[in-house]
Amino acid sequence: MRKALFILVLLISYFGFSQNETLFQKATTAYNDGKYDEAITDYLKIIANGKHSPELYFNLGNAYYKLNKVAPSIYYYEKALLLNPNDVELKNNLAYAKNMTLDAIENLPETNFKSMYKKVTGYYTFDQWAYINIALILLFVIAYISFRNFHSATKKRISFIGSLTCLFLSLLAMIAAYLNYSDYKQKKPAIVFEEESIVQAEPNNRSQEVFRLHEGTKVYVLDNLNDWYKIKLADGKSGWISSNDIKLIKN
Amino acid sequence: MKTKQYIFYFISLFFILSATAQDNDQVEFTVKLSKEKLGLNERLKVEFSTNKDGDNFTTPNFKDFTILMGPSTSISRSWINGKRKFSLTYTYILQPNKQGKITINQATITIAGKVYKSEVKTVEVTAAVTNPNAPPSASDIASENLHLVAEVSKGNPYLNEAVTVVYKLYVSPDIQVSGFQAIDNPKYNNFWSQDMPVTKYTTQEGTYNGKSYRYVILKRVVLYPQKTGNLPLEPLSLDVQVQVPTQRRDFFGGAVYAQTNQRVSAGSKSLTVKALPEEGKPASFTGAVGNFNFFVTTSKTHLNASESLQAKVEISGKGNLKLFQLPQLNLPSSLEVYEPEHDEKISTNYSGMEGKVSDSYTVVPAYKGKYPVPSISFSYFNPKTEKYHTLNSQEVVINVIQGPSNNVTNSTIVEGSVKKAVETSGEQFSFIKTKTNLTAIGSNYFFKSTSYYLWLLLPLLFIPIAILFSKKREALARDVVGNKVKKANRLARKYLSAAKKTLGKKEAFYIALEKALHNYLKAKLKIETSEFSKDKISTLLLEKEVDTSTIEGFLFLLRNCEMARYSPFSNVQMQQDYTKAGEVISQMDKQL
Repeated sequence: MRKALFILVLLISYFGFSQNETLFQKATTAYNDGKYDEAITDYLKIIANGKHSPELYFNLGNAYYKLNKVAPSIYYYEKALLLNPNDVELKNNLAYAKNMTLDAIENLPETNFKSMYKKVTGYYTFDQWAYINIALILLFVIAYISFRNFHSATKKRISFIGSLTCLFLSLLAMIAAYLNYSDYKQKKPAIVFEEESIVQAEPNNRSQEVFRLHEGTKVYVLDNLNDWYKIKLADGKSGWISSNDIKLIKN
Repeated sequence: MKTKQYIFYFISLFFILSATAQDNDQVEFTVKLSKEKLGLNERLKVEFSTNKDGDNFTTPNFKDFTILMGPSTSISRSWINGKRKFSLTYTYILQPNKQGKITINQATITIAGKVYKSEVKTVEVTAAVTNPNAPPSASDIASENLHLVAEVSKGNPYLNEAVTVVYKLYVSPDIQVSGFQAIDNPKYNNFWSQDMPVTKYTTQEGTYNGKSYRYVILKRVVLYPQKTGNLPLEPLSLDVQVQVPTQRRDFFGGAVYAQTNQRVSAGSKSLTVKALPEEGKPASFTGAVGNFNFFVTTSKTHLNASESLQAKVEISGKGNLKLFQLPQLNLPSSLEVYEPEHDEKISTNYSGMEGKVSDSYTVVPAYKGKYPVPSISFSYFNPKTEKYHTLNSQEVVINVIQGPSNNVTNSTIVEGSVKKAVETSGEQFSFIKTKTNLTAIGSNYFFKSTSYYLWLLLPLLFIPIAILFSKKREALARDVVGNKVKKANRLARKYLSAAKKTLGKKEAFYIALEKALHNYLKAKLKIETSEFSKDKISTLLLEKEVDTSTIEGFLFLLRNCEMARYSPFSNVQMQQDYTKAGEVISQMDKQL
């Protein structure tokens, strides 16, 4: 009885998998035929089935871009970017989508060190850094053990230096993963979905308007109260926005 | 017979026609007073006239008057252009007996069997005047016959709704105007005003207070109230030179005209301006009142980067076009947008401003891509329907086909190269990905998971284990004797394995043993089997400085092997020989 159940579960999961694959293929065909709406429905079905991938989000972003829907397009590109931070095509298309936004937000100037640091730690996701960390640790162990066992002086020297390098690099990878992770946990990016939304000084409708944001602008959520989010822009401005107007990229 | 009948018909038709022709003229029975206002010591002439002959004329009861003369009847007939004109007039000269308003009642007359009644008139009788029956002064006549009137198109307009004020100078046919001068031009405070200058004064016929007058339009102004509430309009004052006829006659019998200057002023008026309703006021309302159309257009929708296009926000229609701001165009920040050029094509006419205003933006895209011009809305209040209307522009998408893309900057151009490279128009918008590896959403992250820590620490644990292992191996290597014994045992095992298998079977065992011993020597001393004699072996071994007892043992074993082929050997002996062989080999190995 148990065995049968187990097989059944396996079959269902296999079926589900293949169903998503076919949906993905169907959506690809629909997209190529210019039926972007159909493609979007299929992609969203896959997400509703509980599956995702950077490619899926990328394709969704593309389909929305083709329909001139700025906000969802940027939203899904950003989602894809979280899973795969160094995809050239993705960055390219995101730049296209960002061209469509209305708000000009200049990033605060960063010190060289900080931008370098960001470039390096942001090159991989923290999970990728963690895998690199593990691989380097394994290499270190192998190199160290071989150092212990080699008899010839040159071999010993090479393996010793190798092991130390691996250890050092793995520590760096661990630090990068950690920094990236804390950064990830701390930052809550969101995309403005409303065509025009007013950012208030306080989390209520009575307060003064600070500035206005338009569809597709990326904001960072700092705090929330009732139905309001405190947001900060890349240029340092902040205010409260109605939670209905924006959509968080991380769930 | 029949012809007679036709003639009769014809004649009767003629009579009917002529009768109706006569009846075509409407019967009129009117009363005319020489004055409407007079002093107690003045006289009043009353004339009752009709255009048809009538009988039974009854006068009203002039009870507050003394009849000085009358009724005197006069009849006049005239034929003008074949049209007969007839008039029958009864005239009375009356003197009022009391002051105040006196009513002159109806008079009646019977015309063609029907009774007609005249109008009821009232005259105002004032106190006795100093100079009764003297000709009125020129300025009196002028003031009676000259009126300046301001006509306002709408008394209670909405805020910003167009109101036209027309100043008309009414002049009675009795006097002549030779010129005029504005003394005081009104300033329209709280109004936005637009004067429509009158270039040519044309005389028109009109009525004023029921009398026929000629009038001239002097000034036309369109006003847009800028404030709510009761707003007074300053009056316009004119100094008019008029020619008034006097009683005197000149040599030819014509009236002599006297010239006088008369000051006239249009009575001060006020407008009650209504505020625009608060209810349903759209957010995008900026004060436009009227009836408008609203468009946002671009001169091109497809272009290359660094070419320019014009985006135009245009409002056309009727209303306060100059008095509100055009909605601003919201363009993507990645486009280069210049200050808009404002253009007005407005004509002001009697009903207000009409035409169009537009802002045209020059836009230069720098990068390839799609740029939406989002829909903007424009709201206005229509005073006719008393409702707000909101118009939304169509969303336009500008497609920049060729040009650099925003994100990639590493384009190097090699000049002067002969070979023609395959040209790409910058970085294209990438196609979707066709392959994917779907994973479950919300799967836990590897970093900081238990498996991550295990993978991190377990290899490190492996290091001490490896160190312990190698240490043990080293210790073993350092124990020389035990090591050698072990080695010998291993050697013996290697060479004597075949012998061990045949332990118990005498012949096979000894053959194997001999072979093993020979093999051992072959491997160790590198000698050929043909050279195998016991002497040779002993000398070779001696040369290698193997001690004699071991050599003896070895040779003894070889001898045993040979002997065993021909003599009986017990199992016990076999076992002994086997162990001995092992010992000898290991001993020899130590010394070799």
